[in-house]
Amino acid sequence: MLSDSISLNLVELGHFAANLAMVMALIQGLAPILARWLDEPRLASLSVSASVLVFVLTTIGGATLIHAFVTSNFSVEYVAQHSNTLLPIFYKVTALWGAHEGSLYLWVWILTLYTAIVTLRGRTRYPEHLPIILAVQGWLVVGFFGLILFLSSPFERLLPVFPQEGRDLNPILQDPGMVIHPPMLYLGYVGFSVPFAFAITALLTRWKSELWIGLTRRWALIAWGFLTVGIILGGWWAYYELGWGGYWAWDPVENASFMPWLLGTALIHSITVQERRHMLHAWNIFLVISAFALSLLGTFLVRSGVLSSVHAFSVDPGRGLYILSFMVIVLSVSFGIFMKQGRYQQARESINSMLSRESLFIWNNVLFTVACATVMLGTLYPLALDALTGSKITVAAPYFNAVVVPLFLLVLMLMGIATQVPWRKARMEKLRARLLWPSVIGLLAGAAMTIAYWPVHWTGPVGVGLVAFVATTIFTDFGRALKQRRAQLSEPMARAALKTILGNRRHYGGMIVHLGILVMAIGFVGSGLFRSEMTVAMKTGDVVEIGGERIRFDGVDAFPRANYQTVEAKFTLLNSGRIVQPERRKYPVQAAPTTEAGIDSTILRDVYVVLAEAAGDHWAVHVYVNPLVSFIWNGGIIILIGLFLTLSTRRKALSQKMPATEPVEA
Amino acid sequence: MRKHFLFLLCLTFALPVFAAEVKEDPLERQTLAIAKDLRCAVCQSQPVSESNSDLARDMRAIIREQLEAGKSREEIVEYFVARYGNYVLMKPPYDQTGTLLWLAPALLLIAMAIGGWLFLRNRKDVELPPVATLSKEDRARVKAAEEAARKEDEAEK
Repeated sequence: MLSDSISLNLVELGHFAANLAMVMALIQGLAPILARWLDEPRLASLSVSASVLVFVLTTIGGATLIHAFVTSNFSVEYVAQHSNTLLPIFYKVTALWGAHEGSLYLWVWILTLYTAIVTLRGRTRYPEHLPIILAVQGWLVVGFFGLILFLSSPFERLLPVFPQEGRDLNPILQDPGMVIHPPMLYLGYVGFSVPFAFAITALLTRWKSELWIGLTRRWALIAWGFLTVGIILGGWWAYYELGWGGYWAWDPVENASFMPWLLGTALIHSITVQERRHMLHAWNIFLVISAFALSLLGTFLVRSGVLSSVHAFSVDPGRGLYILSFMVIVLSVSFGIFMKQGRYQQARESINSMLSRESLFIWNNVLFTVACATVMLGTLYPLALDALTGSKITVAAPYFNAVVVPLFLLVLMLMGIATQVPWRKARMEKLRARLLWPSVIGLLAGAAMTIAYWPVHWTGPVGVGLVAFVATTIFTDFGRALKQRRAQLSEPMARAALKTILGNRRHYGGMIVHLGILVMAIGFVGSGLFRSEMTVAMKTGDVVEIGGERIRFDGVDAFPRANYQTVEAKFTLLNSGRIVQPERRKYPVQAAPTTEAGIDSTILRDVYVVLAEAAGDHWAVHVYVNPLVSFIWNGGIIILIGLFLTLSTRRKALSQKMPATEPVEA
Repeated sequence: MRKHFLFLLCLTFALPVFAAEVKEDPLERQTLAIAKDLRCAVCQSQPVSESNSDLARDMRAIIREQLEAGKSREEIVEYFVARYGNYVLMKPPYDQTGTLLWLAPALLLIAMAIGGWLFLRNRKDVELPPVATLSKEDRARVKAAEEAARKEDEAEK
């Protein structure tokens, strides 16, 4: 059977393609250097052609791996370890990134995808700088392919004798959230490689910053958006799948994704200062390099096994050492270039006033940088302390909540003030007038909450007060713009509102993102401070009362599903008549059963039921009532809408001029 | 008042279905309250109260036993610290191993704030090095023109 044997060994073609991709990436990285060395400028264009080839070859490699999963080709070790014939086809495809080797492959695949997009867009927009940008990307591809092909190859075979049945994908990864969480996160992580390549190129070629900073801003926004979505999806997955009633544990790997997000947030704000006021060139390049460095650090922390975590599937000192050396090389080279060239462009303007948009952006950067450094310190401190003194301590949620939450409250305050302050210099009387009502409403909201929920942790009223403050500034701003527009043009309200937003997409996109953050903040206050939980032993017919909900246990039912056995319980929420069905799943390949929480979600609260273990005719049941959790996910959606709006601006598109004359009313 | 209302509510609902109202075992609540501050040593950064691992289950059982034996919260926490070290505390201690950790965010904030302030202050009135060989009047004129254009731009928006 010829076709069978082709199908069985197709993965060898993929392996070959991946090797070739690494060689091509090497050419991509070397071409501009050789061009300069041999004084043969035409050579540089090799990196442009190579970059497209690298993507095509990497895709061939990835496609053959997916093919191996779909056809359950257990002669491939990685497939045999992480898939089996019973696995639903959907999870077979996504099992590619279910473990160490494959997720690294996905990483490099996304990197080559980004590189190819840069190539396609750059050939007409920035042709002279394209080869160098691609060379930087090429070296990153080489670095990661080296790790994949030599130390953690997903192409390893089990020949001549291979198993007829595979083990299984880790059951907790068999979940839709897990299917999209890693690619989104990687699109974010790897996305910062594009601004990084632009920044290094700019340093090397003394590229005028006006010409590249706008491009970099868009890439940074895209990377930031994917990272945001990836992080929120990770929280969503943890909430639905891990069954402890929460969504964010300050797990070191969560922190690893949070750190580039924090610096990325600082970056997308301070880039605006550079665009509008021609300052902070060096600082922005520093932020770009650091954000990418933190992406690499994240990879190192996750993949090297120095941290114990749900995500750390690899404990192999060789790989850790490789990633560490790679990171050290990338960092010393890029920061070396930065130290030497960082000040190639002088600021052409200066701060005019302490009270101006640009100086408040500086404070934004101060807060986000401190938050990032704090998270980094907390994540690495136990490792350093252990290595230096041998004493072990735990730095977990209590620490991070205690130090990061106050910083974020300061960020919220700044968020409200900064949008009211114009560029260059604010007039004090005007600012005071603009902030008066928002402050009053914020104080009232905080006071009302203190009275209604006394005794309450101070972060609650302060958080809610600040949310009300910022929200009022956003809406009064919008109202003012709307009023001005309607004073000039006689338009119906809805049309005027839409036109106002679409006429300044960048601004209102940003404001919508801010609103999304506010909605999430409400969710954090509600679910963080007002959660009720209870652990009870229940038998069929028992009722438990928690957080204003009455929940009746209606018994369990056991039956088989495609690739696991399930015990499904039924609980009725007596207040609304709705039903939640938590499960305990037993996968044949794993000893310990996994729990699926049963969740009834409304806007105001989630009832979250976890079936623990049975003792006689009683079941131990964890019941949580989590207020306002849906705000967190909905806030994420609002952020995405705002981001799309911001990105939908064409760079050169000027808003349509208003008609010179008003149409005369008949 | 609210409690009475809920009690009546429970009563009206409970009677027709003959359901037994289950209350949480108060000892379990105390156990979990203590378990919340202790780290499950074999898990990711999870407290004992939230983990399903065998070790966490054993630790919960020990806490319960000791509560039954009449030990105080401090004594129980001390018992675990004696066995596992400070590692078992979810909150880092305020001793010489943890002080730096707790002080660092404040120090960082102060340092960065001073940096930011110096940046803002230093640049405040400093005239920048000339970009080209324009005279002072020329530059003033350009700046005025730019300002006017920007104002017009903003007004348009």
